[in-house]
Amino acid sequence: MIQRWIAAFLLINLPLLGQTAMDFHFQKGNDLYLQEKYAEAIPEYEAVLQNGLESAELYYNLGNSYYKSGRLGQAILNYERARRLKPKDENIDFNLRLANLRVKDRIDIPPEFFLFRWNRALIQAFSVSGWARLFTLLFGLGAILFGLFQVFNRNPWKGLSRSAMIPLFLAALLTLYPLIRRYGMEHNRAYAIIIANSSNSLAAPQTGSTELFIVHEGTKVQVLDRDGEWSKIELIDGKQGWVLSSDLEII
Amino acid sequence: MGKRLIRIIALCLMAGLNLRAADITVTATVDRSAIKLDEVITFTVSIEGTRDFPDVPPPTSDGFVIISGPSQSSSIQIINGKMSASKTIQWRLAPTRTGSQKINPIEIRYRRKTYRTKALTVSVNDRRSSSGPSATAAGGNQTGQKPPAATTGRKGLFLRAEVPKTSIYKGEELPVSFNLYFQNVRNYAPQKLPDAKGFWTEAFPEKRNPTISSEVIDGVSYKKATLRRLSLFPTTTGELVIDPMEITCEVPAPNKRSRSALNDFFDDSFFNDPFFSRTRTVAIESAPVRIQVKDLPSAGKPAGFSGAVGNFVIEGRIDTLQTRQNQALTLQYTISGSGNINAVKLPPLELSSNVEIFEPTVERTINNKGKRIRGTVTYEYVLIPRSSGTLRIPGLNFSYFDPKRNQYMTSTAPGYSVKVSPAKAGDSGSRAGFRKEEISLLGSDIRFISRDNPHWRRIGASVFRTFWFWFFNLFFVALMGGSLGFRWWMEKLAGDSRLARRRRALSRAQQLLKEIQTEPAGENTGDLCGKMDRVLSGFISDRLGLAPSGLGPRDIETALTGKRVDHELVRAVVTQLERLERLRFLPGEQPDADFQKLGDETARLLTLLTKEI
Repeated sequence: MIQRWIAAFLLINLPLLGQTAMDFHFQKGNDLYLQEKYAEAIPEYEAVLQNGLESAELYYNLGNSYYKSGRLGQAILNYERARRLKPKDENIDFNLRLANLRVKDRIDIPPEFFLFRWNRALIQAFSVSGWARLFTLLFGLGAILFGLFQVFNRNPWKGLSRSAMIPLFLAALLTLYPLIRRYGMEHNRAYAIIIANSSNSLAAPQTGSTELFIVHEGTKVQVLDRDGEWSKIELIDGKQGWVLSSDLEII
Repeated sequence: MGKRLIRIIALCLMAGLNLRAADITVTATVDRSAIKLDEVITFTVSIEGTRDFPDVPPPTSDGFVIISGPSQSSSIQIINGKMSASKTIQWRLAPTRTGSQKINPIEIRYRRKTYRTKALTVSVNDRRSSSGPSATAAGGNQTGQKPPAATTGRKGLFLRAEVPKTSIYKGEELPVSFNLYFQNVRNYAPQKLPDAKGFWTEAFPEKRNPTISSEVIDGVSYKKATLRRLSLFPTTTGELVIDPMEITCEVPAPNKRSRSALNDFFDDSFFNDPFFSRTRTVAIESAPVRIQVKDLPSAGKPAGFSGAVGNFVIEGRIDTLQTRQNQALTLQYTISGSGNINAVKLPPLELSSNVEIFEPTVERTINNKGKRIRGTVTYEYVLIPRSSGTLRIPGLNFSYFDPKRNQYMTSTAPGYSVKVSPAKAGDSGSRAGFRKEEISLLGSDIRFISRDNPHWRRIGASVFRTFWFWFFNLFFVALMGGSLGFRWWMEKLAGDSRLARRRRALSRAQQLLKEIQTEPAGENTGDLCGKMDRVLSGFISDRLGLAPSGLGPRDIETALTGKRVDHELVRAVVTQLERLERLRFLPGEQPDADFQKLGDETARLLTLLTKEI
């Protein structure tokens, strides 16, 4: 009987124990970083990822370690991953901007139309689960008021629920848009960072094809298509070409 | 003094007026009217009577080509206050074919008048004009082909331009030697060096004292001295002419004591002394040589062919095979050989675009010391690899036409594979195109790591896979559905009286029955039985949706049988109803104790009926 209880306890708390182990790796990585042993901090942080857990802080610290070790592509990749989880973090933004300045390819991004900027700011206001919570809250309140309105079909509930219910449902419906967009953003597998020192972009997915342009380490590209070991990429300025998939890593 | 000046001025003016009033005369002459095919004539146009000479166009003729000219001379004379001016313009023409050749008149426009010279006719003879021998073996290595040797001069002295062949490819080297054949010459001085239009000319250095060899031509023994050697590379196709060379020679005057063996050629100062020998100056010139230039064969012409003709070898050299990113390396190609070095051009380097290639520095050196024109062309490229990895430099093919083999040849420089290691940290490439704020950012360091407790989440986890999200949302959906259902039920109840009657039938009937049973039975048993009768029949009518009043036991039996209620139950109900009816009108028939039984029976029947209908 006691054994069964212990087993049940372990089963319930196993993820918890795992998380403390992850905290240990994270802490160890931080300590090594503090001692300026950047290259040694990297495997500690990556051990967490190998165990299937992630967090914006982890990616941020890993990005810093890579940056300090001079591996710009990996640094940018991890900053981008951190930003995917925490889009409004100022430190992540700053370090990503700084790292991007060291990228050889200077592709000018056209200035964003203010409506698009607002739109992005709205989507980035909460994480997916934040938006999901907000949606659930609004929808739940609306549903409760709806229920009250239906059950107690008389004053004073009728007036109150009718005036509050419709705005609540409307708000919940509006929350769905950033929720879905944000989900798309976090689970977008279309963007990648070039991690090879430089990568020749060819006109066709085969060796010996015409060379179109060169992308350098750290450049952010959009992956449009895949063919064997080749990936079709598009730069921000619209240039397209095929590069080896091993030269890039999806954010 | 003043008067004199005025007089001079007046004179000049009058002379000017005189001149202006006079017409000009234009005449064209040739120095000879009959020549041989390998001779040259001088065509002279002279204009008299004006000082401001009009432009004279060159002569045109089908049978002649201009080989030099125009050369101009003008003179002004004032005789007895009358001024006469003249100008002569000369061309030297070479015939291109035999027969009677016409030189077209020349037209000159002067002060709105057109002056025409007479057409001139020159007869050109086929026979070669060699005053000495008919030229035969002149050049070096030609076979069978009759060498075109052209000479002019007098007996015992002639100058020949000798070429090994007269039909060559465009760009092919054509060695020309100007040989003086003589028996007795004291000295010579070049007057006009040979020229050749349409050729790139490369001269071999002249020796101060030409070596003299002896040669027998047509049975006459000559001394032969090569005065000048050229290599000509035709740059166009078609018929090209090598212009004559003119020299003046000092030859001993006749009746002089004959000198044996001409051992006193150029350097015998003693006999050059005019006191001891009388000499005569003779001008001689070589005849123009016509060369047919063929275009290079188009069959088998390589893609990168630049026009090099001759025999070449390309060699490559690279300063290092291991370098660092952004560090320059030097790649050098040297093409050496004999031929038209000036036309040697390297095809552009084709390297991957992550290498910066600077414009090559090209160096040409031409060596004219040997028998043929040799030379080298060096291309030096500076390459800067912009990324690390392996930089492959492919082999470079250089194509040329070999006129000896009569085919295109290709020489190949080897390719290289250079290892490029990554640049040192901090050695970043160009820093162009930054905004001001970005430059200030560049100086700063990244921000420190985050030491907050991380909020872990599963990689690939999403809120749409969490329990709470679906639980709460589905719960709220269910809540809304439930309340809607509840509302619908309530409205159905409110709107449908028959259903309401049916739903409330049992509870109402049981409640009424309880009230009846609590009342004290006694004198009004009949009333109570009547009430009980109404409760039972009312219950049945509520359940079946029948009109409540006027229902007899027979009606109820029919209705219940129609609903397929159990036969015995129907019988029991009918019996109970009939008994209650009887007791109602005949209250004294049953004892009081049975009233309680009646109530129980009715309750039992109500329960049973609820299950059936």
